[in-house]
Amino acid sequence: MYSSLVRLQNVFGLFTTVAFVVAALIAASDFITPRAPTVGTLKTTNVQVVNGRPHYYSSKKEEYAIIKFSLDADLSSLFTWNTKQVFVYVTAEWPSSLSSSSSSATKGGLNTTAENQAVIWDSIITAPSSDHLANIGPAAMKKLRKSAAGKSIDPSRGKLTLKNQRPKYQITYPSGKIAETDNVVLRLHYNVQPWVGILTWNQDRDFGSWKQLQGGLSKAFTLPATKKKATAAGGAKS
Amino acid sequence: MAEQILDQIRDVAEGQIDFEGQKLVELISNVALTVVGALAFIVGYINQDIKLAVLIALGGTALTFLITIPAWPFYNRNPVKWLPVGGSQPPPPSLQNLIVNEKSLG
Repeated sequence: MYSSLVRLQNVFGLFTTVAFVVAALIAASDFITPRAPTVGTLKTTNVQVVNGRPHYYSSKKEEYAIIKFSLDADLSSLFTWNTKQVFVYVTAEWPSSLSSSSSSATKGGLNTTAENQAVIWDSIITAPSSDHLANIGPAAMKKLRKSAAGKSIDPSRGKLTLKNQRPKYQITYPSGKIAETDNVVLRLHYNVQPWVGILTWNQDRDFGSWKQLQGGLSKAFTLPATKKKATAAGGAKS
Repeated sequence: MAEQILDQIRDVAEGQIDFEGQKLVELISNVALTVVGALAFIVGYINQDIKLAVLIALGGTALTFLITIPAWPFYNRNPVKWLPVGGSQPPPPSLQNLIVNEKSLG
C-alpha cells in the first residue's frame, strides 16, 4: 500500500471479490423465493395444413402446419428482483412413428414419449429492470415503461392471455409431409433468464419451493389433411 | 524550475504514505467495501430492486476509491524517523568477532 498505484490495485482486487460474493448471494436468493406458475387453458383454435415452399426459390413444395391457439397462463411468480427476462414458448409435440428414428430431444418438460417437437410461438417478457432492452419501437417502449410505473417487480408481467393467437412459425417435418399426424399436443415452456445466476427452464417435478408448471399441456389433436383446391376440408378442433 | 514542478507531480502521482498510514488504508478499504457490499445486498433484497443494489455497490466503491487511493495527509501523520546522514557515532562493537579479509571487525 506504499504507493497510489499499489493501493489502486489492492482495493480494486478487493472490490472484485466483494462484487463476486454479492452476486453469488443475489443468485442464491432465487432459490428461497417460491415459484408457482400455472396455465389455465392451452388449446388450439384453428389448425390447417398448407403446401408451401421453404424459401422463395425452392423447387420442392412441403407441407406446413399452421396451428392457431389460445393461451391463458400466469407466470408472474417467476419474476423476482433477479429476473431479467422470461422467454416463453409453445411447442407442438407428437410421437414418432418409428421408435428407433432419431428426433429432437426435449429440453425441460421432459416427456419420454414425445419425440418430435417444434416451436410454434415464442415471446420475450422483460422485467421492469430490463425494459430498456426490449426490442420494440419508441411508442411501445414508452407504454411499456409507463406500465411498470416505477415498480421493480410488476405483477402484471407474466400474465399471458392470448386469444386465437396466430403462430410465429409454421412447422413441418423433415420428410416434407406433416398432414394427418396423430396425437399432436401443445406444450408451454418457459426459460427464466436472471441478472446473475443459472438459467432455469420449466421443471418436470417440484424442487423445494419451486413448483412444477401446472397444466402446461393441451389436449391431443390431429393435424388435418391439406385442403384440395375445389373441395373444402375442415380443420380438426380439439 | 521545471525539475521542481516535475518532482512535485511525481510525488503526488506516487502517493507515498507512511507505515501507520498503510495499515489504516488496509483497514479502511476492507471495512468500507464489506459494508458497501452487505448494504447493497440487504437494501436491494428488501426493496426487491436490483438496480438500486448495483447503484449502492458501485457508488460505495467509488467513494472507497476516493478515500483510499490518493495520499491524503491523515495517512502521513507518523512519518518514518530516519537517522541523520553521516555525522553520527560509529555503530557500537558487536559481541561477535567478525574476521573479513584478515581484518577483524566489530
